[in-house]
Amino acid sequence: MGYVAIKGGGRAIEGSHAAVEALRTAEGDAGAPLSLSAIEHQLRLLTSRVVSEGGLYHPRLAALAIKQMQGDTLEAAFALRAYRSTKPRLLEMPVQDTSKMRLIRRISSAFKDIPGGQMLGPTYDYALRLMRLDLADESPEAFRSVASRFMQQRPGADLPDTFPKVLDALRADGLLPPLATRAQDAFDITREPLVFPVPRSAALATMARAETGSLLAIAYSNMRGYGDVHPTIAELRVGYLPVMLPHPVTGELIEAGEVLMTECEVVAMYESDDNDGPPVFTLGYGACFGHNEVKAIAMAILDRALQKGMRDGPSNPSEDPEFVLLHVDGVDSMGFASHYKMPHYVTFQSDMDRLRTTQSKATQSTVTATQGVKA
Amino acid sequence: MTLTYPMPEGMPVRAQWPRLLLACPPESVRALARRLCEQHAVQDIQLPQSGLALLKLRDSAQGEAYYPGEVPLAVARVRVTSADGTLSEGAAQLLDDRASLARAIAVIDAVLAGQLPGHEAALPVLAAGQARLSEQKAQRQALLATTRVDFSLLGTTEEDDDE
Repeated sequence: MGYVAIKGGGRAIEGSHAAVEALRTAEGDAGAPLSLSAIEHQLRLLTSRVVSEGGLYHPRLAALAIKQMQGDTLEAAFALRAYRSTKPRLLEMPVQDTSKMRLIRRISSAFKDIPGGQMLGPTYDYALRLMRLDLADESPEAFRSVASRFMQQRPGADLPDTFPKVLDALRADGLLPPLATRAQDAFDITREPLVFPVPRSAALATMARAETGSLLAIAYSNMRGYGDVHPTIAELRVGYLPVMLPHPVTGELIEAGEVLMTECEVVAMYESDDNDGPPVFTLGYGACFGHNEVKAIAMAILDRALQKGMRDGPSNPSEDPEFVLLHVDGVDSMGFASHYKMPHYVTFQSDMDRLRTTQSKATQSTVTATQGVKA
Repeated sequence: MTLTYPMPEGMPVRAQWPRLLLACPPESVRALARRLCEQHAVQDIQLPQSGLALLKLRDSAQGEAYYPGEVPLAVARVRVTSADGTLSEGAAQLLDDRASLARAIAVIDAVLAGQLPGHEAALPVLAAGQARLSEQKAQRQALLATTRVDFSLLGTTEEDDDE
């Protein structure tokens, strides 16, 4: 049995592309194409998910990918990664400081009186999950007036762009280990394969690009009992990180642009200090492109779980670096699942041949055994 | 040689120019750069190019550097020579994928830094960028100011606060 060429494959594939486009535009005269700006802004959380899982902060291209893939986040992230693979890497960036993020939201479940105060920002946390039927036939006029009305009614307050981190206050109180700046260079998962054991920077990079649902599922297993992180959110912040690069002529750091990010630090159970110092809380850290709080929290929990697994050996799946890091990438896992749709005619033919042979042998043995009994 | 001139009072510092120019409509930045290119000789020191850069952060739990992903990057570097022979170098590195925009900003950067003839035309563009950024800042502050939690309303005694 060998591979065989068939006549109509190419035409069928071309037809499938046309069929997809026909369904995308099926509204016909009654419809209007989605603008990238509308996707980027009105579906901002979807765009956030794709920039994060695609590993490339390019909201406009993420919006294009969402449009092209008709809302499939896995395919959209795949398209974004395919795009990035065509581009050269131009420079090595200095380490950016997330304490300089221009925040639009910051909360803590550890303290109510955090330095700078708590600001809920844009969130559904306190919204009733009831359908807003008025959105079903929202008029363009009503739509356009919302943002300007919000700005007119805002309280007059001169707030800073940046706020101190809650962890700094905990450190100042001696409740956390001092922050050490590690000299070890970061692991680049786009250039190097994950060969275990991997450094923590590889785990952070992998989880930052992970598929949200996969990351959440494994973190949820830890939350429900297959683990013992018991997290408290020290701080969850959403904001725009200014990216500072040295000016090629002057060498002075200048802002090249900004990146919307979500960052989360969780405080977990305290442990004895290795150097006979007083016990201190342990920490987990999560961050990702865009506004995606569930992902950042899940990542922070898994970071803490993996720290334990890397140090003491895993007791649960969520503490096993190999289990977690090799199963959370959306493009990897989607690719493996999708490959089962590809023709497996030869291997399946072989399976059938073996089954028939086994069935035939089983039938013969039954006949032989029956004849033996009769004899 | 490249000279550095004292900037006029009230003018934003050089480190802010790229951000201000990025906040402007790209066509206004390109139009300004086109006019400056007609006025001066512009030589590319580094050809305009678009690509990517790995964003590098340090986690706040253990102080470890890691890469959360990549960002688009457009770069350009030019040398501008005015009619009287004055040289000035300019550059741009933008989180953007438009190499032509990076070159336009590099040209404006050079002309402004050397205060070459025509640099005055860039001042209103910078001011327009500043106005847009102020508007953006006001929008973001409104998100914070309208959602600031007043915990003093939750209880009047310490026992209440502990709940």
